[in-house]
Amino acid sequence: MIKLAAQQLSFRYQPTKSLIFDHLDFQVEPGTFSLLTGPSGCGKSTLFKLLAGLYPQYGGQIETGQVVLDGQNVAEILPNQRAKKVAMLFQNPSRQFAMRTVSEQLTFALENIQLPLVKIPQQIEKVLAVFNLDSFKQRKLQTLSGGEQQRVALATVLALDSQIILLDEPFANVDLTGRKQLLHDLKQLQLNYQKTILVADHDLSGYQGIADHLYHLDSKTPQITSRPLTELQQSATSWPVSLHKLNSGDLSWQQLTLVTAKRQLLTGSNFTLPRGQLGLLSGENGVGKSTLLAALSQLHPYQGQISYQQKAAQKFNQQHWNQLVGLVFQNSSDQFVRLSAQDEIKLSQKNSLQPKYWTIKRIIQCLQQLDLAGILDQVCYQLSGGQQKKLQLLSMLIMAQPVLLLDEPFAGLDPQSLKQALQLIRETATQLQLSSLIVSHQRAGVTEKLDYELELAHQQLTLLQGGLNNG
Amino acid sequence: MAKKRGLNASVMTVIMLGIGLPLSFSLSVTLNLVICSLALIYLIYCRVSLKTTLLVLLAALPLAFGSWWSFLIFGTGDQWHSAWIYGSRVYAYLLLGMTVTMNCRVKDLLLSLHLHLKLPATFAYGLLAAFNLLARIRQQYHQIQASAMMRGQVYHLWQPGLYLRIIIIALNWSGDLAAAMTSQGFTEGAKRTISFVDPLPRWQWLLTAGLIISYCWAAFVIQPW
Repeated sequence: MIKLAAQQLSFRYQPTKSLIFDHLDFQVEPGTFSLLTGPSGCGKSTLFKLLAGLYPQYGGQIETGQVVLDGQNVAEILPNQRAKKVAMLFQNPSRQFAMRTVSEQLTFALENIQLPLVKIPQQIEKVLAVFNLDSFKQRKLQTLSGGEQQRVALATVLALDSQIILLDEPFANVDLTGRKQLLHDLKQLQLNYQKTILVADHDLSGYQGIADHLYHLDSKTPQITSRPLTELQQSATSWPVSLHKLNSGDLSWQQLTLVTAKRQLLTGSNFTLPRGQLGLLSGENGVGKSTLLAALSQLHPYQGQISYQQKAAQKFNQQHWNQLVGLVFQNSSDQFVRLSAQDEIKLSQKNSLQPKYWTIKRIIQCLQQLDLAGILDQVCYQLSGGQQKKLQLLSMLIMAQPVLLLDEPFAGLDPQSLKQALQLIRETATQLQLSSLIVSHQRAGVTEKLDYELELAHQQLTLLQGGLNNG
Repeated sequence: MAKKRGLNASVMTVIMLGIGLPLSFSLSVTLNLVICSLALIYLIYCRVSLKTTLLVLLAALPLAFGSWWSFLIFGTGDQWHSAWIYGSRVYAYLLLGMTVTMNCRVKDLLLSLHLHLKLPATFAYGLLAAFNLLARIRQQYHQIQASAMMRGQVYHLWQPGLYLRIIIIALNWSGDLAAAMTSQGFTEGAKRTISFVDPLPRWQWLLTAGLIISYCWAAFVIQPW
């Protein structure tokens, strides 16, 4: 079996910047399923790109050591030879396809490794069948969901017959159902096709019985340590939200109905978002949680009435409405307006609706709390996934719209960052009396800080009566 | 009605460039009109969408009229002749271009150029990937406006800041995409299997040569009005 290992590896992005890794040793055990965890920004993506031979070609420089694939320096192997041994799946599923359709994409990959012409159609049929994607052959890639796109990417890797598969936060833009499906597929690849699998993920749920090794990458001393698999055990509690007495509020909707091109998502819903409290918007994937948030932000058409202080939303122009209702987008990079992290914060501070609250002192305190103080001079888009999430969150909290809607603000955050982020939302919402509604698939460590839960199911929005708590 | 297969995309590109270039130096209204009519007949033969064709031709009317008008007013010498040359030239260029763009998909064109005219694979697939990203960039434009408004900033169509952001996002995407393509085995300058089928019979090259030579001969030797 093919071995992949980092030997005494030291790496930095720029000569003036500090080392990301300093004499790192790490070996991927052939034929196993390994999970790598670690806090946001500790260098998981960097490590994966090094292991896949994409760095230093796409940035940075190796100071000492090397990554060895099958006895050869991985960076020196030609990509078309390397792809048969090691391949990578990326965080943003939609940005890894050069072609338009599933079949074109698979053909492209197989042409790269010079598979004989007659074998290409057979190979495509074969891998699509493995993932039950037969009906997807002519589908356009951009119309697929995040989970489906990652499965196509996985099918591509299987078609290339890469022995080692590296997956860098592959579920960051994938819903829960997609995640389960993918984990199942990956395990099958390991067991039935003897693949070596290494996944980087913050969320440990679902790996019990699947992962054979658990590793942790520490940000302080960037070394990789092995951890016991017992850490994957999940407690059985379902993390309910205990319902508090709800305040009155400004944003309300009556007879709200949401329809997309494909189907009806919500019918005749009424609710008022309580002021100064945090709510959870839950529901199965694809029921329309993000669409509801988009409609409340006037970014998606709806029927019925949405109003602010009894005044219909239609009477406000978009610009004015956005000063009342803020939306934290699911994809952090959609939120950024400026180039550097510092300018991003400065813009929010300049236009903040609560300038008295958001003093320089308070902002600095929050930056430290979120561990962002050290990255202010960096370009937003070059931050790690977790750092982007935190920066995005803080810049929207500083804006302090009276209604703040958050779409998966904790996705990809390590436990410590999650705790700090939630704490910050809680403080800000209480002190500034903001009405907040959060969509989060992560419930552990979140629900105990929330005041109510709205569940979206069967086109109905229900306030869950999780044991009334007047405290 | 189903589209009819026209000439090979590479051949059409060579014809477009081979006639387009001397067209810039030719001073003949008659020849411009001949090119327009031939191109139109070819488009109709290939059964392209009539509606799109008319819309494109209509959209170019202000440009053609502008050229015609400015040479009529500010031109020297035979103003009427100049006006008609430059007015009809706009349409000759446009219709020549349409014979290529309205008849083949971007993918077929780029891969055909790669196959027959040695366009490097990196260039062909890079451009193709960029074209496939276009739809998402359009989506992104609305997202950018919304996110800016939520931060108290309004972006208008004419503001460079808006385009700067689109460019940054596109650059970012292209970086990710390039890394992914490398990971999928794409190697610059390396041999690849080619599954794209694009027949190019020899008579099409002869036709190309014939068309270009007779155009140049007509334009620079006969020189009709």
